[in-house]
Amino acid sequence: MLEIRNLHVSVDGQEILRGIDLDVRAGSVHAIMGPNGSGKSTLASVLAGRDGYEITAGTVTYGGRDLLEMDPEIRAREGLFLAFQYPVEVPGVTTMYFLREALNAIRKHRGQDELSAGDFLRLARERSQPLGMDPDMLKRAVNEGFSGGEKKRSEIFQMSMLEPSLGLLDETDSGLDIDALKIVADGVNALRSPERAFVVITHYQRLLDYIVPDYVHVLVAGRIVRSGDKFLALELEKRGFGWIDEFAGQEAAVGV
Amino acid sequence: MPAATEQVSRYLQRFNATLTREEGEPAWLRERRERAMERFLTLGIPTTRDEEYKYTDLSALVDGKRRFDAPADSVAPAVPDYALTGGPRTEAGAAPPAFEASGTVEPGVRVFRLAEALRQEPDLIAQHFGAIAPIEDHALSAANTAFFEDAAVVVADPGVTASQPVHLVFGSGSAARNPRVLVVAGRNSALQVVETYVGAGTYWRNAVTEIRAEENARVDHYRASIESPDAYHTGLLQATQERDSHVGTFSLSFGGAVVRNDIRTRLNGSGCECSLDGLYTAGQGQHVDHHTAIDHAMPHCNSHQLYKGVLDGNAKGVFNGKIFVRRDAQKTDAVQSNKNLLLSDEAEVNTKPQLEIDANDVRCTHGATIGQLDATSAFYLRSRGISADQARNILTYAFAADALARIRLEPLREYFEALLLARFAPQED
Ligand SMILES: Nc1ncnc2c1ncn2[C@@H]1O[C@H](COP(=O)(O)OP(=O)(O)O)[C@@H](O)[C@H]1O
Ligand SMILES: [Mg+2]
Repeated sequence: MLEIRNLHVSVDGQEILRGIDLDVRAGSVHAIMGPNGSGKSTLASVLAGRDGYEITAGTVTYGGRDLLEMDPEIRAREGLFLAFQYPVEVPGVTTMYFLREALNAIRKHRGQDELSAGDFLRLARERSQPLGMDPDMLKRAVNEGFSGGEKKRSEIFQMSMLEPSLGLLDETDSGLDIDALKIVADGVNALRSPERAFVVITHYQRLLDYIVPDYVHVLVAGRIVRSGDKFLALELEKRGFGWIDEFAGQEAAVGV
Repeated sequence: MPAATEQVSRYLQRFNATLTREEGEPAWLRERRERAMERFLTLGIPTTRDEEYKYTDLSALVDGKRRFDAPADSVAPAVPDYALTGGPRTEAGAAPPAFEASGTVEPGVRVFRLAEALRQEPDLIAQHFGAIAPIEDHALSAANTAFFEDAAVVVADPGVTASQPVHLVFGSGSAARNPRVLVVAGRNSALQVVETYVGAGTYWRNAVTEIRAEENARVDHYRASIESPDAYHTGLLQATQERDSHVGTFSLSFGGAVVRNDIRTRLNGSGCECSLDGLYTAGQGQHVDHHTAIDHAMPHCNSHQLYKGVLDGNAKGVFNGKIFVRRDAQKTDAVQSNKNLLLSDEAEVNTKPQLEIDANDVRCTHGATIGQLDATSAFYLRSRGISADQARNILTYAFAADALARIRLEPLREYFEALLLARFAPQED
């Protein structure tokens, strides 16, 4: 589904991603862990198509096509979804209007009919209810005045409405209490299917108790320094960031 | 200066023709015209040397196709279909009249052409007509007063709450080049008035509206200007408010090559409220200028101003908001805000609050912003599948939403919401 090869990305002339290789197959869940500043959000942003990143080397193929050539909205319509680490407030635009526009753009792209206002509302109720969201939230401006937890929940709600093939979650668990975390994890698990894949970026192993990954990758200073299964995350949790720093140290020492 | 002499003789010729045409008008009105003519000849068309017109060049009005007496293009403008019920309005046709108005709209609410108003309400008209809009220091108001051909007079009798808005539509025929409106809202009355200006071709329109709100009256006034892209539109709206009255004006400016609107109110009694709001848009080659002035003469009055502008292409926007707080106007609460959204790098805005405060116990706040669409928001929308054009569309609409929300007439609000969306984004492919 997604193949990242030797991806190098710079921001303002400074190299942030220094050769990423990653294969994500349909049906799988990958976790990416790593210390602050290691480039996790940069990777997510580049995949979603945000401006301001210079791709100096490498390729990204999505569904057999060159992802980096696509406009952000085309990526979304082709089934890629990024749950933002910092969801954006859009005053003056209701969540309802915004999501309906988005969903209909995606449906149109897939050759489906647009949803009527009534059908959209029914779907929105159905999908927001398990997330414990206040239905009034739909009438509020996108993320405006939402608490951190509400914003994260809203991201998962959007994901469940848009039904992506590939979900990227950038620290969706950060700042959530355990109840909110479970709700978010349930939301993701409900979407898991053989056709869908997820890349879950997190700082904390805790999330992976609820969204159990098939693979865990450790990203340090713009490189995946180690990959393994879910036990890698546990080990990481046990041994702490010092252990990660050792990786970074080794990298530096080897000089690659 | 032969050119200047030639202009003056043209103005005089036109003025004499006006006097001949309006032979039957009362002596007091003739005197007001004559004084206005004197003032106009003295002041002339404002130039950019005048601080008040520093950013707005009206030199094209001196000569050429936008000269005050240039013949009208015989193109019929399309009249928007707000579906406002009740009020008199014109229909789109080969040559829309200046406006259509006739007698009683509903009990206690009357709309007249000037001649009829003079017959039915001679004292009321003599008291207010031409007495509210200044001519001594306002060349364009003076020009309108000298040359106007007809006027619409809207009267709400004391204690009457109009159930429907009065809608005046002005096309671009020659009779509508110096349109003139007088609104008198009697004590405890409530009234909504919509003026719509539409036109086609090249012309100059110079509109003057006078509003008199008696004690405890409420007037909501909307000025919807959808002028031709080749037109110049200048205008003065002057209100005077007696105690406890409430005047709301909303200026919608969606057309014209050069637009200059002066919107002013004088708070003559305590307990008055006014809101001077507006939404202006301009694209390539367009210039739109609003000058507001609120004269707080008495204590315990509130004024509120929200002007928003959306500028694209190489458009230029100007906003100047004057608030005068006189010595007696203690406990004044005045809020002014002007916000501009620039959709292109070439668009420009000059915005300036101008506060003159002579009282000490007042609250006056003002703020002006000029910004571009937020790239982060646009990316967020696009990351959900919304096209770049549509994202721009949505964010532009969102920018204007709080101004539009202040339009209390729903059909009007919906019309301009749609117009705004249509103007600033191509439709989804
Ligand atoms: N837009 C940007 N401009 C400048 N530096 C950036 C930008 N985005 C990220 N960086 C830098 O890139 C590095 C990686 O950041 P980020 O991808 O946000 O890390 P993470 O998500 O792993 O915490 C950091 O050193 C950060 O300062
Ligand atoms: Mg991050």
